[in-house]
Amino acid sequence: MNRSSKAITYVPLGKWLIIEMAVLFVLSLLWLLESRLAGYSALIGGLIFVIPNAYFAHRAYRYQGARHMHLAVSNIFRAESIKLALTAVFFAAVFTLMEPVHVPALLFTFAVMVVLGTALRWLIRPRPQR
Amino acid sequence: MEMVFIAAALIIGLGALGAGIGFGLLGGKLLESTARQPEMANQLQTKAFIMAGLLDAVPMIGVGIAMYLIFVVAG
Repeated sequence: MNRSSKAITYVPLGKWLIIEMAVLFVLSLLWLLESRLAGYSALIGGLIFVIPNAYFAHRAYRYQGARHMHLAVSNIFRAESIKLALTAVFFAAVFTLMEPVHVPALLFTFAVMVVLGTALRWLIRPRPQR
Repeated sequence: MEMVFIAAALIIGLGALGAGIGFGLLGGKLLESTARQPEMANQLQTKAFIMAGLLDAVPMIGVGIAMYLIFVVAG
């Protein structure tokens, strides 16, 4: 058994969040070249992904270790359900309350952030720490 | 107009079904493998967390498109 297998895992939530926000800021600036509404919509579209995803990452790592694995798995299930529900509520709120909205900018930025979030978890992995 | 709601319901429903099956398998395998090798629990949890991110990407985009259909196209 190596040393890292017994260690507590450090999850780089802050690093993920900073990179996501930086990319979102750049994307919003690029959409701002199209129009002010597009830039604003792109920012909202990115935030619709970033906020539920941060909640999911925070809640999924509330419990660690073999002794608490059943709690960790149930937390992952609940966090995923709440993440999807939050995303649906945020989209519904934006489409009903925010008028007007640049839909291509909103959906494109959201899709890019979804792909980026997955890639970030893969590239900057949580690492065991003693 | 009703077809738009049916399309949105299919997108959300099938996305939720796929994510549910995937998360069920993922969680079951995580518990099983942790029971076999408890000393690997942290590494397995990290891998499950990464796979969860891959798993929920498609349903998330589906929810976005479904909400667009419901509130913009039909509304």
